[in-house]
Amino acid sequence: MSGLDGSATIGVIGADLPRQLVLAAGAVPRRLLGSWRPAVTPEAAELLGAVDIVAAGLLTELLGGRHDDLAGLVVCNDSAAHLRLFYLLRELGDRGRLPFPVQLLDVPPGADGPRAAFARDQYRRVADYCAAATGRGIDEASLRKAAAAESLVGLARERMRARRRAGRCTGVQALSAYRASLTEAPEQATAELDAATVEQAHDRLPVLVSGSFHPDATLYALLEESGLTVVADDHDTGDAAWLGDAVEADAVDDLIEGMLVQQRRRPPLSPRALAAERAQASAAAAEAAGAVAVLSLARELDDAPTWDAAALRRTLEPRGIPVVTAWRLQPQGLTEAVRAAAVAVRAEAAAAGAGR
Amino acid sequence: MSGRMRSATAATAFQKQWFAELTAGARAGEQIAVLNADAPHEIFRALGIPYVVSQWWASIISAKQAGPAALTLLAREGLPDFSQQYDALPLAEQLLPGSERPWGGLPAPAFAVAERSGDVTAKIFEEWGRRPGTEAFLLSRTGGDPAPDRWWERVAHDWEGVFGTPRLDLLQAEIEELIGWLERRTGRRLDRDRLAEIMRLGNEQAEWNRRTRDLIAAARPTPLMVSDSIPAVMVPQWHRGTAWAVEAARALYHEVAERVDGGAAICPQERVRLMWIGRGLWSDLDLYRRFHDEFGAVFVWSMYLAIAADGYARYGDDPVRALAARFVGFTDQLYMPPWSSQWYVKEALAHGVDGVVHLVADDTPGAGFISEALEAAGIPVLEIRANNADARSSREAGIPDRIATFLRTRVAGA
Ligand code: SF4
Ligand code: SF4
Repeated sequence: MSGLDGSATIGVIGADLPRQLVLAAGAVPRRLLGSWRPAVTPEAAELLGAVDIVAAGLLTELLGGRHDDLAGLVVCNDSAAHLRLFYLLRELGDRGRLPFPVQLLDVPPGADGPRAAFARDQYRRVADYCAAATGRGIDEASLRKAAAAESLVGLARERMRARRRAGRCTGVQALSAYRASLTEAPEQATAELDAATVEQAHDRLPVLVSGSFHPDATLYALLEESGLTVVADDHDTGDAAWLGDAVEADAVDDLIEGMLVQQRRRPPLSPRALAAERAQASAAAAEAAGAVAVLSLARELDDAPTWDAAALRRTLEPRGIPVVTAWRLQPQGLTEAVRAAAVAVRAEAAAAGAGR
Repeated sequence: MSGRMRSATAATAFQKQWFAELTAGARAGEQIAVLNADAPHEIFRALGIPYVVSQWWASIISAKQAGPAALTLLAREGLPDFSQQYDALPLAEQLLPGSERPWGGLPAPAFAVAERSGDVTAKIFEEWGRRPGTEAFLLSRTGGDPAPDRWWERVAHDWEGVFGTPRLDLLQAEIEELIGWLERRTGRRLDRDRLAEIMRLGNEQAEWNRRTRDLIAAARPTPLMVSDSIPAVMVPQWHRGTAWAVEAARALYHEVAERVDGGAAICPQERVRLMWIGRGLWSDLDLYRRFHDEFGAVFVWSMYLAIAADGYARYGDDPVRALAARFVGFTDQLYMPPWSSQWYVKEALAHGVDGVVHLVADDTPGAGFISEALEAAGIPVLEIRANNADARSSREAGIPDRIATFLRTRVAGA
């Protein structure tokens, strides 16, 4: 139930829960991330049916007791796979298979008009859930402390982004730092982000990785071994993670209002955003980071990015930035598929560079 | 043995005629809409905007073997040809050359409206909105929370308690946004009394379906093939809110009642009653008949009639809110645990089935919970995990042999 410093940990599946809300309730938010090549039990596979294998890996971990130390678990309706996982976890929880109750967080795309009203209610429920899980109330002092801590994370995140663009932080380092930060208390998160650095600036081919979120750095490592460097990304375990954004607030309702504003400004995530919104945001990110190509990677059964790719091409190719896709990635043949994609990126970038 | 149901033949003929008229109107300049099955159709009916339901149209595209060619053209546009094909097929059909389009093709709709189920439906409808002459509108899809027990006893009247006020508030507000969006584009005004009448007719249709379902549940022996009830139920469903649809549902009831009174039986030696859960292999009629002779085993149930009986009726003074209540958790009723398993058990008991064949499809979460709940109620279940069973013949997948073994070894009376 509690960490070394005595604070409780609340698990999070999905990308829609602002860390500050959990911190203000006196808990550490820990994203459950999984992996590209997860162990999946037959039970988990059967229960979930055909979904992104990362979700099946998470269900396997949860049923295997790997996260029994959590004080609670919030599951975001930010993808079909996560909503399905929530339905199963609710049922399994009712059967006593989990040591904590599971809470849904359902933030509709847009978070404007009637959607904002719904989201507000959802955040309130999650705030109550977290406060009940920790047994500590959310008050002015805890809100301020959480805001201060998370804003330090935000500063460290900006420092890391600057290094990344300057070639002083690899994609693997950045992704690893993001992943670690999403699972740890603000102090450790800040340290992880600041530690992501290389002595020597490198000059490999800068690319933006688009598409499925990356539960671990396996693919980034393959890409960077192949002469690319991932200077930016548009998924929620990379630059699009909701991390380090603090709201100054004295009361929960003010915090929630501030979070709704942030929610509307966040980078659009593939499973819930429109392709055109994604293309605009990803193109801007690619240009800001100096990417010479975009690589869209999608796991098998995580189909949303595959519907984004045409819009991405329409937006980026006129600007001289080619888009390469590798779809339906699965554990089997993963290495070969990613290496082939890296080769294609180099060829496309060279052709585009020659044309510039 | 009895012949094909008049209701089924009539519904199929009506649908063909209706589509011809709709497309002729569209070619003459009338604004039409393409809607997914969970969009609030009743608003379009009330505004006098003819609509085609994308899932139905996809089934026609598939039946006419036009799917593969259409999907190839989709891939040529840089879009995936492997993803959510039921939503993607109607979009892809737009790309086919005239001669290859089923039933002459669907003219470009003015409106493409969907509820955002899953991760890609929104993007498919976004693509519709990029086509010349078509604009898209999307409605939110909230998660099924809360999920109180025995939804089928409560959704018709106590939907507020079943789905929860926040979810209903959101969808109601979005339907109001949709109404304004359509009013601005058509220059029409929604007549709310007309919408209330459409809701009333839809409820009446649901009540006839309920009577038909109850009649079939109680009938011994079974008076009709499940494959016959499907078009007789589904076609009127796409015309929900019309007098024709109510009449079709009423006529189905009377035809079934007539059969029951006349002692009609698809298998007079019926000894074993079976339920088929999952996507039907209804084109494979042989499969459903082949256990009659050896086992006296009859398939008595389909989800199509059962959900038409339990899933649609929504009573209430405010027609827009009642409409929101019809769609806010529609698919949850069928696919979300624990609602799905509770409902299948209820239906299995009501129909007095002796066994269940459960074609486990990978698109349903918690399929194992369904089998488990049925077994716990004393009903043996044969699970068939044949995700591509519809791509092959059931015989190739070994389904008939497995059902025969199941009947011999696990089902009493067979
Ligand atoms: S026979 Fe007449 S009274 Fe009886 S159910 Fe039919 S319509 Fe109603
Ligand atoms: S066993 Fe049933 S189906 Fe076969 S001939 Fe007899 S009544 Fe007809």
